[in-house]
Amino acid sequence: MGAIRVDGLGKSYGAVEAVADMSFTVERGELYGFLGPNGAGKTTTIRTLTGQIQPDAGTVRVLETDPVTEPIETRKRVGILPEQQSPPSFLTPREYLEFVGDVRELDSDRVAERTADWAQRLGFENKLDTLHTDLSRGQQQKVMITQAFLHEPDVVFIDEPLANLDPLVQEQVKRFLVSYAAGDNAVFVSTHNIDVAEEICTRVGIVADGRIVTERSLAGDGGGGDGNDESLLEVFLERVENEDARDLPSLERIDA
Amino acid sequence: MSGATTDRSGPSTRRLLGVLFREEWRLHTQLFGGWRFALFPGVIAALAVGATVALRETGTADGTILTGLHVLALGFGLYSGTAGFAGSDMLENVFGELSLILSSSTTLPLSRRRLLGVFLLKDALFYAVAFVLPMALSNAVLADRLAAVPAAVGALWLSLSLAFAAGMALTVALIAVRTRGVPTWAITGAIVVAAGAAWLTGTGGAVWNAFVPIDGGPTGSIGLAVGTGVVGAASLALYDPTYGRPSRTASDRFARLSDALPVEAIGADSALVSKTLLDLARSSGGVMKPFVSAAILLALVAALVGVVDSITGIAPAPGVFFGGVLGLTAFTTYNWLTQFDSLEAYLAYPVSIDDVFRAKRVAFVLVGAPTVAVPYLAAVLWFEATLVDAVVGAILLAGYALYYYGLTVYIAGFDPNEFLFDAVRFSLFTLGVGVALVPTLVTGFVVVPPTGSVAVALGVAGIGFGVVGMVLSSRAGPRWEQRSRNE
Repeated sequence: MGAIRVDGLGKSYGAVEAVADMSFTVERGELYGFLGPNGAGKTTTIRTLTGQIQPDAGTVRVLETDPVTEPIETRKRVGILPEQQSPPSFLTPREYLEFVGDVRELDSDRVAERTADWAQRLGFENKLDTLHTDLSRGQQQKVMITQAFLHEPDVVFIDEPLANLDPLVQEQVKRFLVSYAAGDNAVFVSTHNIDVAEEICTRVGIVADGRIVTERSLAGDGGGGDGNDESLLEVFLERVENEDARDLPSLERIDA
Repeated sequence: MSGATTDRSGPSTRRLLGVLFREEWRLHTQLFGGWRFALFPGVIAALAVGATVALRETGTADGTILTGLHVLALGFGLYSGTAGFAGSDMLENVFGELSLILSSSTTLPLSRRRLLGVFLLKDALFYAVAFVLPMALSNAVLADRLAAVPAAVGALWLSLSLAFAAGMALTVALIAVRTRGVPTWAITGAIVVAAGAAWLTGTGGAVWNAFVPIDGGPTGSIGLAVGTGVVGAASLALYDPTYGRPSRTASDRFARLSDALPVEAIGADSALVSKTLLDLARSSGGVMKPFVSAAILLALVAALVGVVDSITGIAPAPGVFFGGVLGLTAFTTYNWLTQFDSLEAYLAYPVSIDDVFRAKRVAFVLVGAPTVAVPYLAAVLWFEATLVDAVVGAILLAGYALYYYGLTVYIAGFDPNEFLFDAVRFSLFTLGVGVALVPTLVTGFVVVPPTGSVAVALGVAGIGFGVVGMVLSSRAGPRWEQRSRNE
């Protein structure tokens, strides 16, 4: 039984088909990269998998829960790091993490311990009592990363994990994600940063026009883990361009 | 000069105005739907004309109606003056993710001060046409002959526009002073002292008359126009675009507050309630914001009651009247409680939208009760209500506040500000308010003080509407949860 199982998922917004007949499975121990250009359907998929919106078609299971019928149960078990969400402006990081701990029914001593650990790991220990509204975007992102992992979930959904972080913290976060997935957890990373995906993911699914156009196992050393010598960038460009070519004129045709 | 560029390079003012107008129009039409926003001036016109007819039929003097319209225009101007300074974060709290031309001075060689000046000018012109002009149609009712209607409407439009612009200029001036490091408490203190001095010296009436230029003829209008221009220009010159608030730290109050709130017993999540209360307390203006909103409503209504009494000799039963009207603070209080978060922000946690609405309801009761109790007590003491009147008014206040709250939450969900621009929702809300409030106000004016049977009837109405409000607010969670998940 996969940690995440998607079968025939479909979701439209009016006439716009955001996700169409999408199927994939993510196992425990995997760091799965969900790669695609803007508007490919990545965020819609994550929102469906975390019970935020209802799909029009298909079935989804996350840690053996059904996000469609029991969204709260799903969100109890997973961690979520949305791409463009900031922590509440008028709470401090310490208070916000207490809030998250309360909502997730965690022991307050444990929350304090984990807060201290994460603050030290990501370097915001001297900002724990500063209102979020007065923190930089990068510091806010560190707090959001912390909230996603505070309850040590078995599955984590992350939308653009490294946004706004400095290179030093990016390295720390990448190493942490790799080790977290290796500890029998599943980490689902949505990104359009191919280099990052190639560096840290064990497997990627390339999505275009709302469907997965290819999946590829990676060795984590930049080469194709499945014996394919093409770089991930080459595969990505080839598959995404092929998809787009159905609807849009290619650059070559425009130039001509 | 504090680092601001003041050169006049870049697009002409006319070009900037054109771009800003287009942005304003698209902002509203994209957010609320073209026809819903386009209908909004029509709704305002219908309300203004309808209210004028109703007030006239019930014996209200024309001068009182005109004064009331100027109070509204001035109040709207005071509110609108904050728009250019609210910052994208606050606007995003209200409207969602936005990127406005106003912020382009950070990336383009445009003076922030100049851009702000043009932005405020655009706002003044836009709202003068979209909002103030429909209000001015009231004068079509007051004109004594058909041929005089265009001139009467035009004169009132000009007068209301000047009051509106004066309100904007005053707000801009206060914000400009704030950017020079003057603390908020000092500004508030100065306003209180000035108001007190005007009252003690008996010059309050003269000051107020300056904001009703239609009564003062051309001299009054020219005086207010010149004064507004001078204050506006001086404020822009004083405004420091580089002003930045220092970082603020806070002791850990969340855990203490969350532990102290005994709300779990009634099924609410204390963490969600605590977050809402801390958001309110720590944002600009602190916990006083709802009180200020209630105090402004009280002052405006009390002034109107005084004017009506002096002209017609009719005074309402204060308990019934203020109990009914002050319940409207439910809207402003709820607005403050939802100003700093969005429903989407809660979807990362294992809580239902129903949980979030339940927490907001508890926070509303905690904040709303003292917010309305203080001004209500002040009103019934000041206007010497009888005991029965005061008790009935208190029941009406509690019941109607719950009803208005339920109505707001049910219709607008987490975005009560959308009432301001969405013709359909605004009409629904107005209708819902009118069903409860109009008969109550009429009764409050006609039966003074309330007789036993009237008191019982009003008490039952208060309780009944309160129950309706509870039902509406408890259904709001499932309603908006459904909408959110099926978007």
